[in-house]
Amino acid sequence: MAKQVAIVAVAQNAGAESKDNFYDQAYAVTKEVLDKAGMTRDDIGTVISASSDVFHGGISCANSYYWETTGAFLKNASRQDGESLFALFYGAMRIMTGHYDTALVIGLCKGSENPSNDTCTLMYADPFYQRGVGLTETMAAALQMRLYMERYGVTEEQCAKVAVKNLGNGLRNPYAHKKGRYTVDDILGSERLIDPLTALQVAPKSEGMVALILASAKKAKEVADKPVWIKGFGSSLDNYYVGDRDLLNGQLKNAADRAYKMAGITDPEKKIDVAEITEPYAFQELMWYEGLGFCKEGEGGRLMDSGFTGMNGRIPVNPSGGVLANNPYVSRGLQRVVEAVLQIRGEAGEKQVPKTVKTALAHGTHGYAGQCHAVAILGR
Amino acid sequence: MGRPVAIIGVGQTKHGRRMDVSYPELVREAVVAVFNETGLTPNDIDGVVSGTMPSMMEGIALTHFYFADAMQAAGKPIMKTETCGSTGVSIAHTAYYWVASGMADLVLAVGHEKMNEGNSQATMTTVAEPFYQRYFISGAPGVFSMQSQMWMDRYNIPEEKIRDAAAFISVTHHDDAFDNPYAHIKMKVTMDEVKNARIITYPVRLLDVCPNSDGACAVIFASKDMVKKLGRKPAWVKGVGYRGEEYFFGDSDKVVWESAIQAAKQAYDQAGIKNPRKELDVAEVYNPFTFQEMLFYECFGFCEPGESPDMVLKGTFTRKGELPCDPSGGTLCTNPIGATGLIRVAEAALQVTGKAGDHQIPKAKLALSHAMGGVDQFNGIMILGSKL
Repeated sequence: MAKQVAIVAVAQNAGAESKDNFYDQAYAVTKEVLDKAGMTRDDIGTVISASSDVFHGGISCANSYYWETTGAFLKNASRQDGESLFALFYGAMRIMTGHYDTALVIGLCKGSENPSNDTCTLMYADPFYQRGVGLTETMAAALQMRLYMERYGVTEEQCAKVAVKNLGNGLRNPYAHKKGRYTVDDILGSERLIDPLTALQVAPKSEGMVALILASAKKAKEVADKPVWIKGFGSSLDNYYVGDRDLLNGQLKNAADRAYKMAGITDPEKKIDVAEITEPYAFQELMWYEGLGFCKEGEGGRLMDSGFTGMNGRIPVNPSGGVLANNPYVSRGLQRVVEAVLQIRGEAGEKQVPKTVKTALAHGTHGYAGQCHAVAILGR
Repeated sequence: MGRPVAIIGVGQTKHGRRMDVSYPELVREAVVAVFNETGLTPNDIDGVVSGTMPSMMEGIALTHFYFADAMQAAGKPIMKTETCGSTGVSIAHTAYYWVASGMADLVLAVGHEKMNEGNSQATMTTVAEPFYQRYFISGAPGVFSMQSQMWMDRYNIPEEKIRDAAAFISVTHHDDAFDNPYAHIKMKVTMDEVKNARIITYPVRLLDVCPNSDGACAVIFASKDMVKKLGRKPAWVKGVGYRGEEYFFGDSDKVVWESAIQAAKQAYDQAGIKNPRKELDVAEVYNPFTFQEMLFYECFGFCEPGESPDMVLKGTFTRKGELPCDPSGGTLCTNPIGATGLIRVAEAALQVTGKAGDHQIPKAKLALSHAMGGVDQFNGIMILGSKL
């Protein structure tokens, strides 16, 4: 997918809780991204949003609600549910067909108006067998973490280091919801939510409105000094029942391989300069290192110990603080894209990694123990 | 524009009150049907598009998880498209763009709903804005009734005439459904029965309204190379149009209904259609309410504004008429919402490939399919043709 679709502008607002209502927040980020691109609503061909009814303050058909405020009035617009990276892919595909020169892609989630994330993720459970036992994403993650530690000898300390790193990185991110200088002991000593997960290893419930403008190659040259190209993307869905799956051999590798293949990358551990990944539970970042091919199976903990993924490492992972620092459930995948774009453009401010970034990776996941994964490769 | 895309197979469940199957089994029935019909296997599929109504409908959120196995989607790239009532046609659009962009050669689109396991009107009430509108926009009929009244008033159409035309639509579609093996409501009704049926919300009566159905639909979209390779009779995608308008019901004109008019125009322009009534051979219009079907005829340019009741009563849109509409019995007889728009697309594909069986319109070459959603807010169109 060589230089067909570029990201020409990005905007986000995020954090713990905003006094602005949903409309105002959605409008603000839409206006900001248009202003940054030097465009008006008339310049936008199509609008693809991402949102989920179950994470939408009790209003069904979410995109019905925010249609005009995201600039979609009398436009051909559509919506992806659950994973906001799907919206990026869909926007790119619409441009690739030649039907549109520009697409506004927007992820919307106002966490403060939702119940706890797990009240919502309980609704993924089939109503007959699993909902009654209270299966949620956090419970599935706890099962997965125990299995991961037992099979590969990964330690709780190694898992906790992810939280130390990401909540520390969050200090440099003005949009981060949770941040702080913690020690491994602090992380392990925080409240034990579902064994072996402790509170500081679990992502919060945040707000996040995230918007991007995509453009065709021709249009990108006209409007952007520093276009960031979408070089590859891939997704993959796993079987439904948690008990039917090997929770340590999931679909991330499939999704990543598809994205790498499209981007012509055969050695990701060398080619990726920075990665923004979705780690709602600290240990998952270690597992995702493996799935993304940054290290071999079972070696995520050791890779963490080596500093490979720290701010000064070979592949800094989540310099923004990742999802542990800020977790607007539906829009978090698209937020990873925005952070990756800022890194490539050298505009990440205090969280800019100390190296030249040519190629960046953005990852999203949702579902029990990572039932679905999506990966995007971005580059200059 | 983009690569040519065709539908090469469709699968439907027997729609209705399906208490004999679970929701995943219902989805699986449609998916197995399309694989049996095409001779393809799940291994052949490059990607899957899934969609349904909001999670409140059956109380399950992000249903692509729950149906991963039923859709044979494990290990595959996935998209999850939702646009309220127009979801079905939006799923078809997503699959179309996926193939047209060159990112896939075979895409499976699946729409589904098991409405008898939930409360559809309660769900639709939660679509309305919670502070001002939710109290009086209860479910779908209220909205459509207001729209019908607005329409009658705008063109000074005599109430009796509009009542007769609506009853005529109800009678003919209920008759049509007998020839559709998948339709839900199969009952003989008379003009008098429709006109005297219990009032739901004035002027809409019970027999003007669609049922709550359980049902699923699966459609396979293919690239031109794949069509050639598989040697299947294709229904080519000739045009895709979609528009949405204001959320607050009172903010926009629902008679000169811009989202419907412009969505159709976008699709017509792509398909090179100038006179839809003459050029189209058949249309599958999303008609949950008899009155609304007539309004769509006007918005889609099948007739002049205010003229549709006369045309209906002349038989212009019956199966033997100039432009047959909803020969399947339409949404009026079968409405599993998340699947309904995709069923319209599937029926259009069956018509232009000559596979519609007892409700086949002879020599149909060009067909329109449509779905509507939101608080009378979204309209989507897909036009299919037998020739590229």
